[in-house]
Amino acid sequence: MSDIKIKIREFIIENFLFGEGGEELKDDDSFLDKGVIDSTGVLELVEWIEDNYQFKIEDDELIPENLDSINNLAAFIAKKTSK
Amino acid sequence: MKGQSWTTVSDLLVYTACKYPGKTALIYKGEEISYEQLLVKALRVACWLKEKGLSPGFRAAILTDNPIEYLSAYFGSILAGGISVGLNIQTTPRALSYFLQDTGAQAFMANKRFEATLKQVLTKGTGAEIIALASGEELTDILETGDSAELHLLPWRSSCDLAQIIYTSGTTGKPKGVCLRNRNLIANTMSIIEYLGIDSSDRVMAVLPFFYSYGNSIMLTHIAMGSTLVVNQNFVYPNKIVEDMLKYRVTAFSGVPSTYAILLKRSNISSYSFPDLRYITQAGAAMAPSMAQRLQKLFPETKIYIMYGQTEASARLSYLPSEHLLHKPGSIGIPIPGVELRLLDEDGRPVPVGEVGEIVARGENIMAGYWNAPDATQKVLKPEGLRTGDLARMDQDGFLYIVSRKSDIIKSGSHRIAPKEIEDVAMELRGVSEAAVVGMPDPILGESIWLFITLEHREGIDKKSVMRHLRRILPAYKVPHELRIVEDFPRTSTGKIQKNQLKQLTALN
Repeated sequence: MSDIKIKIREFIIENFLFGEGGEELKDDDSFLDKGVIDSTGVLELVEWIEDNYQFKIEDDELIPENLDSINNLAAFIAKKTSK
Repeated sequence: MKGQSWTTVSDLLVYTACKYPGKTALIYKGEEISYEQLLVKALRVACWLKEKGLSPGFRAAILTDNPIEYLSAYFGSILAGGISVGLNIQTTPRALSYFLQDTGAQAFMANKRFEATLKQVLTKGTGAEIIALASGEELTDILETGDSAELHLLPWRSSCDLAQIIYTSGTTGKPKGVCLRNRNLIANTMSIIEYLGIDSSDRVMAVLPFFYSYGNSIMLTHIAMGSTLVVNQNFVYPNKIVEDMLKYRVTAFSGVPSTYAILLKRSNISSYSFPDLRYITQAGAAMAPSMAQRLQKLFPETKIYIMYGQTEASARLSYLPSEHLLHKPGSIGIPIPGVELRLLDEDGRPVPVGEVGEIVARGENIMAGYWNAPDATQKVLKPEGLRTGDLARMDQDGFLYIVSRKSDIIKSGSHRIAPKEIEDVAMELRGVSEAAVVGMPDPILGESIWLFITLEHREGIDKKSVMRHLRRILPAYKVPHELRIVEDFPRTSTGKIQKNQLKQLTALN
């Protein structure tokens, strides 16, 4: 799980925080509330998960409970890849 | 609509609050606020602004992602005799400085979320006398516990006074402030209410930001009639929008083409039926006829209106009546009530039916001009009307079809983006020799932003460093989706970059 979190954090910082300010982003911070990701950003995020973890995210899985923080993302990826 | 006596935009809220005090005006994240409560909050803002001693005609900048705060600040500013300037929440210190300096905003109402950005701007100084709520009095305190002025103590304003400035992308690169009088906004509001048949029983799903003219017109038309705004302007999770549509049994939905592309491609909307959904509107860019057909299939009982407009026209200029959706594919329809649209050639002569001319508009809804930009105003406000820059043809039945635009403004999602602004920022980076930005077709966004650059040398510069530079300065929605480093550009004989050629070559590759 911690490996997944590190990888997610790297992706978020590189692609949405321009390589800066990552230390302020906590694992349970909401990407929405912190203004980290917008609607096109979430599509990039989905594409990255599908490419890196080889599973397809269904439409009804596109919800904040799965995608809106490093913790939520890590738990979602862990659940999907353990099946 | 006859018998209504609105003079100012704030009258829309005042009259509705008197008529339907207990009715729900707005639902946001489960919180419901009545018209009476919304008016009290707006009066508190007005009273606070009045106590600051600002003269009528002052500009009040608003920066918040909370719609209750936004509406209170918007109507409160106008009630206090000011001009509302809603700012895009996707912003950077540089963009914010520009808007504050350009408007000369004397009042600034911001949500605490933007405090860090705000501090950077205020430290540098903007040249404007700013009252920043985030660093002193909190906006929420004023809305909850401030004094509310008696209406008759607030300054009298006429229908000809400016009510609002909305910023829109300009071809020169700098966004231009479109100045709208009370009567411009009221005329457009009445016209839209008439052709959509909006009434107090409507509950509209408001997904578009209120700081753009389309979202602004949705807000004003429904507030005027005492309808309910169900607000969720964050389109990151489209299933949450679908949830709200079902939960609140919305009767209306408005979006730009990318809104519908996302709903159709990335949500579970097709798994449900929406028997209460009375109408859907679409504007902001051309919708592919195939998507219109898919929407009609998904919502067989719902009226679908394709619309066209410009910020310079307070929002709306034409609409395609829903009964013509399928047999006038690709059309932007006919003029809305109270608006005259003509197709003229460059000398101002009407073009024959079937031939291409520029859409020129006349009506009460046309702006007063651009803020502090008389030359730009003169270029579009002509004796014959507003020169829209959009080229169209008309069929035998009087229906209009957009053919192309004169300018190279990119329409991406709900945003309009001037290529020059991005090119200028790219050129600031040492090592970048030339830059060209074009919009390429995109199935979700309508157009995505592609930046092409040539380099003076390759030392110390690569794609990553260019993107980092762009992201640091530009708001997120202006950051290119694709960056290509090229050896040279296709050019005209005089050396000018041929953007159309660049687009065609890119599409081929």
